[in-house]
Amino acid sequence: MLTPCAYEIEVRALVAHGQWPAGASSELRAHVATCRACGDLALVADAFQRARTATIAAARPGPAGVLWWRAQLRRRNVAVERLTRPILGAQIFALAFTLVVGVGFLVFEALRSDAWRTWLQQLPQSAVAHWDEFRATGAIDPSWGLLVVFPTIATLLLLGAVAVYMATDRQ
Amino acid sequence: MATVVTPFGMSWEFALPGALAGGALDAAANRACSSPMDNDAFAAFYERSARPLWAYLARVSSDPALAEDLMQESYVRFLCAANAPSLESDGEAAARLYLFRIATNLLRDHWRRPRATSIEEIPEEFFAARDSAEQSDSQIMLGPALRQMRPRERQLLWLAHAEGYSHREIAAVTGLAAASIRLLLFRARRKIAALLRAQAAPIGRES
Repeated sequence: MLTPCAYEIEVRALVAHGQWPAGASSELRAHVATCRACGDLALVADAFQRARTATIAAARPGPAGVLWWRAQLRRRNVAVERLTRPILGAQIFALAFTLVVGVGFLVFEALRSDAWRTWLQQLPQSAVAHWDEFRATGAIDPSWGLLVVFPTIATLLLLGAVAVYMATDRQ
Repeated sequence: MATVVTPFGMSWEFALPGALAGGALDAAANRACSSPMDNDAFAAFYERSARPLWAYLARVSSDPALAEDLMQESYVRFLCAANAPSLESDGEAAARLYLFRIATNLLRDHWRRPRATSIEEIPEEFFAARDSAEQSDSQIMLGPALRQMRPRERQLLWLAHAEGYSHREIAAVTGLAAASIRLLLFRARRKIAALLRAQAAPIGRES
């Protein structure tokens, strides 16, 4: 069934060069009239060649320069993404490192001072946990006072904001 | 990158550090993917290949607007592809084959996407409406017949009989096994030949 007819190559070449059926010998035309495979090939290939000519004539391709610059832009964007990937990794590492150090510092301070534990134990008993109460317990070394607490909280807030911004920016 | 000259007669690339002027980015872009050809070579290649590519996409998809979009995307991907064949070393035939392969993959991706209408339902009226008198003969014949073929069959038939690609080249473009191309093409050809004959019969009887 799939064995190609010996004349198929000749028929295909004539159709491709637009010489079918005028350029075909009478013998070939007689063969195509009786051979189903060659008849199908001549009919289909001729129809497709004509359709190709007609469709190509209808094509209105845009300027090549636009596509060239679009490709350059895309290549550049890919390069930017590749360059910024390690930077983003370093930023995430720095953020995580800062958070770990900050939390570690707070935990260390809490463990060092019994005032935290006292304040935490008193917290459920008090109706409302006031800042004044917190400060009165002397949670942090009085010599440090608010000079440590506020910058720490501000730094954490700032880093949190940066993390949120970076996450939304990536999206 | 185009060199911009400052009012002091100095190029920005010289006045600014390389990274700020974009030199590092360009260098990285060139490392990331080297374009297979320069601007002029691409323009010439585009001039020779755009119309056949559009014809292929338009006929197989039956959607000229989609064909235009996919054609543009095909060229952009071709230029960005790191392993695209070079015109100088691989020749135009290889570059064109690679381009058709990209377009075929884009078409396949398009068909896989869920949509409101199926590709099977898109009519071929566009071509019938655009045809001039000398073209209408083939269009009237091929259009309805092509509409009844599956997209894969349209692809195979177009590549084989309009573009004249061999079975091996069609396999490279479509990603199908070369051994199965012969059988698929044989069936598709027999099917469309029967459709064309069926359409020609009433015309013959009328005349």
